[in-house]
Amino acid sequence: MTNDAAGSAAVLAAEEITPGEHWTGEFLGFTMNIDTIIATAIAGAIVCGLGLYMARGVTRGRPTTLQLVFEALTGWVQGQVRDGMGLRAPRGVVSLGVTLFAFILICNLLAALPSEHVLPPPTADVNLAYPMMLLVIIWVQVAGIRARGAKKHFGHLTEPYAFLAPSEIITQYFARPVSLSLRLWGNIFAGGIMVSIIALLPAYILWAPNAAWKLFDIFIGVIQALIFTLLTVIYFSEAVGSDEEAATH
Amino acid sequence: MSDEALVLLSESFAFLIILFVLYRYVWPILSRMATKRQDEVQQQVDDSEAAARNLEQARSSLESALAEARGEVARIRDGARADAERLREELREQADREVERIRQRGEEQLVAARDQTVRQVRAEIGGLLMQLAERIIVESLSDDERKAATVDHFLDELDQMVNPGTDRDHEREFAPAGAGDEARA
Repeated sequence: MTNDAAGSAAVLAAEEITPGEHWTGEFLGFTMNIDTIIATAIAGAIVCGLGLYMARGVTRGRPTTLQLVFEALTGWVQGQVRDGMGLRAPRGVVSLGVTLFAFILICNLLAALPSEHVLPPPTADVNLAYPMMLLVIIWVQVAGIRARGAKKHFGHLTEPYAFLAPSEIITQYFARPVSLSLRLWGNIFAGGIMVSIIALLPAYILWAPNAAWKLFDIFIGVIQALIFTLLTVIYFSEAVGSDEEAATH
Repeated sequence: MSDEALVLLSESFAFLIILFVLYRYVWPILSRMATKRQDEVQQQVDDSEAAARNLEQARSSLESALAEARGEVARIRDGARADAERLREELREQADREVERIRQRGEEQLVAARDQTVRQVRAEIGGLLMQLAERIIVESLSDDERKAATVDHFLDELDQMVNPGTDRDHEREFAPAGAGDEARA
């Protein structure tokens, strides 16, 4: 399941460093990117482990630093959901947002390890970015239909002008899903390409630009996790509608 | 050393630099924020605990005050009850004494009245006996039958005067005296 972009990137990279190329295996007739699966599992295990470790140390008194981090994240997502949807927020949106952020962040941070050539961040593979996008887009549709009814949910496409419906449909069902998934994938994948290019430098000098770039990559990883989560909440808000909107209609 | 190993070595060194930079420049900021927040939470917990303690203290002092007030009320009520009991007892004794005194005086009066009555009756009987004696002497000159009738009549009169209600004599002590007075009048 290698794609064109990955293919062309591989041409640029050094022979031994090939972003976009994966170890693959066959399973039920599908080609599996084993490195992505392993990295995804590792990231998932880290997120779950941190969560469980944090939950075990939860106290009523002075919170641990890890608990503060989770509280800050949850608080931020809750704030976004409350601002966007108020009481109309579908159940589980906050959990989805927190999970997406934590998981994408850990995935992206795997890029900072020197093991990047062996085990690239799973978000640098569209095969992780697309399913996450599908999860969000389908969930948003379901939440919208549940909140406003199918007729109103799809009828919303013709508002305020019916002749703009095609562009609205393209936005909702094509541009948004594609941009949501490829933005994440592209940013992280580009980081991998940069590291591969830097690796073409002589070994005694490449550590400096590598360190500089990876520090920047960490920043990008945080930003991308943030954007993915924020957009998810915004899509939900748009589909479900705010309290004021529900009150005036 | 192969190129690949050199690259890996160099990148590992880069990773150490990254860790150093994060530790030196990023961690202090996050740590400061975390410490601040932890202190805030600790402060809030302390405040809330202090407030809970104060509340508990206030509640216990309120309860002790209530218990004290209840005890006071009970004591006052018991005292009042005892006072009332004592007063009632005193009044009853007083009343009993009064009744006893009145009864005694009444009995004394009764005895005195009876004595007087007896004396009067005796005096009167003495007079009447004199009259009888006169009549007998006068009428003895006529016949014995009338003499007997006179004596009987006199005895009847006397009887009626002294004992108008023979049956009630023992039950009502006043009756003979009253009856005697009436008979005398």
